[in-house]
Amino acid sequence: MQTSSAFLQLLVAGISTGSIYALIALGFNVVFKSTGAMNFAQGEWVVMGGMISALLLGTFSSVGVACLLAVLLVAIFGLLSERLVIRPLRHPTALLITLVSIGLSICTRSFVMLTLGKKPVGYPGFSGATTISLGGVTFQAQTLWIVGLTLAFLVIMHFFFERSMLGKALRAAAADREAAAIVGVRVETTILISFGIAAFAGALAGAIITPLTLASYDQGAMFGFKGFSAAMLGGVGSLPGAVVGGLALGLLEAFGSFYISSDFKDAIAFAVLLLILFVRPSGLLGRADVVKV
Amino acid sequence: MHLGRRSFLQLVPGAALALSDLRPAQAANEPLRIGSILSVTGPAAFLGEDMKAGLQLAVEEINAAGGINGRKIAWTFYDAESQTQKAISATRRLISQDRVEMILSGGNMSGIALAMAPLAEAAKVPFISSEGALAIVTPVAGRRWVFKSTVDDGDVLERIADYFDKKKIKKVALLADTSGFGQGAVAQMKLVGPKRGLDVMYESFGPADTDMMPQLTRIRDSGAEAIVCWTVTPAGVVFLKQAQQLGLDNRTLIHSYGFVSADYMKLAGDAAKPLLLASLKISVGDQLPDSDPLKAGILKLYRNYEARFGRPPSLYAAESYDAMLLAQQALLKVGGDPAKIPEGLESIRNFAGLSGVFNFSPERHSGLSKHDIVLINWRDGRFNLVDYA
Repeated sequence: MQTSSAFLQLLVAGISTGSIYALIALGFNVVFKSTGAMNFAQGEWVVMGGMISALLLGTFSSVGVACLLAVLLVAIFGLLSERLVIRPLRHPTALLITLVSIGLSICTRSFVMLTLGKKPVGYPGFSGATTISLGGVTFQAQTLWIVGLTLAFLVIMHFFFERSMLGKALRAAAADREAAAIVGVRVETTILISFGIAAFAGALAGAIITPLTLASYDQGAMFGFKGFSAAMLGGVGSLPGAVVGGLALGLLEAFGSFYISSDFKDAIAFAVLLLILFVRPSGLLGRADVVKV
Repeated sequence: MHLGRRSFLQLVPGAALALSDLRPAQAANEPLRIGSILSVTGPAAFLGEDMKAGLQLAVEEINAAGGINGRKIAWTFYDAESQTQKAISATRRLISQDRVEMILSGGNMSGIALAMAPLAEAAKVPFISSEGALAIVTPVAGRRWVFKSTVDDGDVLERIADYFDKKKIKKVALLADTSGFGQGAVAQMKLVGPKRGLDVMYESFGPADTDMMPQLTRIRDSGAEAIVCWTVTPAGVVFLKQAQQLGLDNRTLIHSYGFVSADYMKLAGDAAKPLLLASLKISVGDQLPDSDPLKAGILKLYRNYEARFGRPPSLYAAESYDAMLLAQQALLKVGGDPAKIPEGLESIRNFAGLSGVFNFSPERHSGLSKHDIVLINWRDGRFNLVDYA
């Protein structure tokens, strides 16, 4: 009885943490698709989402409104970052963008510390502090919001990339920059938009997790690292891969630290990540690229 | 015949003594050079700012009163940015370039203070650490010049065990973070637990973790009557919220002195209700019985600190303030000779500072005891005394 309730409790915990990882992984994947680079500023946008929401909550009394505005502001910040830091690169190779993004993440962290402060912040969930008890499992209503909003966002992204003209243009530019440019796609704009989407996804993750965990300026690196791992696990560049990778990492952490030892929580998750990458170097749902030499 | 100074001293036996007696008097005009290293940026910044303020206030008060033995303090401060490497180079600069006569506070992270201690020891510069780990001052044979003004984790755990005895609690869980602070407590609990007949289960979490459900579910199923959480990070709020969510709020929940922060309590909201904190007395200064030796000093610090910085002093500010008070006491005891500060500190007995009553000895360079710890809770927007002794 106890063990089955513990199992369900862990399942809920794993899914809610996993959803957050999935959103961050999605950010990694979108930028990877358009540039071939890993954007390590992704984690900082998560923190910004949470911290700006808390700040705006002073002005707007509704948590939902504050979070929405914060997410939009961070998306604009993402666009600006691309315009000011990535665009001016003369030869934007994937490696160069990756390196620059590390600098961008350090600058963003300092910027957040100086403008929003060093103190951790928090706010109530979208449905207050309501807790739900179901079949021996207790969780906060915010957990449902996290899972629901993540799913909704991923579905929207799926249709955006598969159906909309802009989404198709982004995919085209990702597949072949030159060919896309020849048929009239502005490759630079697609990179700009991908940064905006990535920042939006990160900030959304931050805004919805903060009621459960608090946000402080120095958490970004951890979020970035976990999101990166989830992206690798699922298959870099694959949208469903972000979901699978995120959930797998969240569940691994939850069950690993319960059934084995909490001392090795991160170690267990990363050991499994390594194993999977040995067997499937392109991740669970990734397609191995055929590269002409 | 020309006599050099040295040979003159050899000829007149009393002269050497006379000259050495003169030295402090000559130096009386010279300021007393004291250096401090704290982290006012980086992850440990929230501690560093209060500790810096504590030292700053102590320096200003001592200088306003005419200094120590007539020497005003010239205070040099460096930011360690929460990085051990930065702190080490700052320590070298303090010793060789600024030629400080003593160092107070070591980066407000035990790991940093641990790295600084051997440097101070080698240079024979007295170092009073305001950081936690007992290893900073042990073994004493290799730490003649190093002291600390903070309470030991072992003592705090002993004090918590006293409370468990009172409440007849036998089965407890220690939920510690994976930092030096948390794991230090785990090492101490492995000594204190068996000695006090406690059945202890150990769980850990990362300082940046956002979920503790697995650990808490395990603790719930183990039937532990009390949970002691050991961290200074916001993850401690996650612990409180999720403990409430799992219905663990009917058990005894205790946070260490590393979590005594009004900000954290406000963030935890309702979830902080069942919580007890093992704290220094300063958090509840005004509620102490009048017989308490610390009360007068604490109330005075509250007045002066609030007037100077516009906020009440935290216990971290008291720890660094104490480092300066101890330095002053030691210097007064040895007639102002910095080279004799170790003897001065080792002879301090029953000295009421702000974090507690200090007793040092040549065998023990950590001055506080479990009697300096009280248990407090958070109600009506303030800390309240729950268990005095």
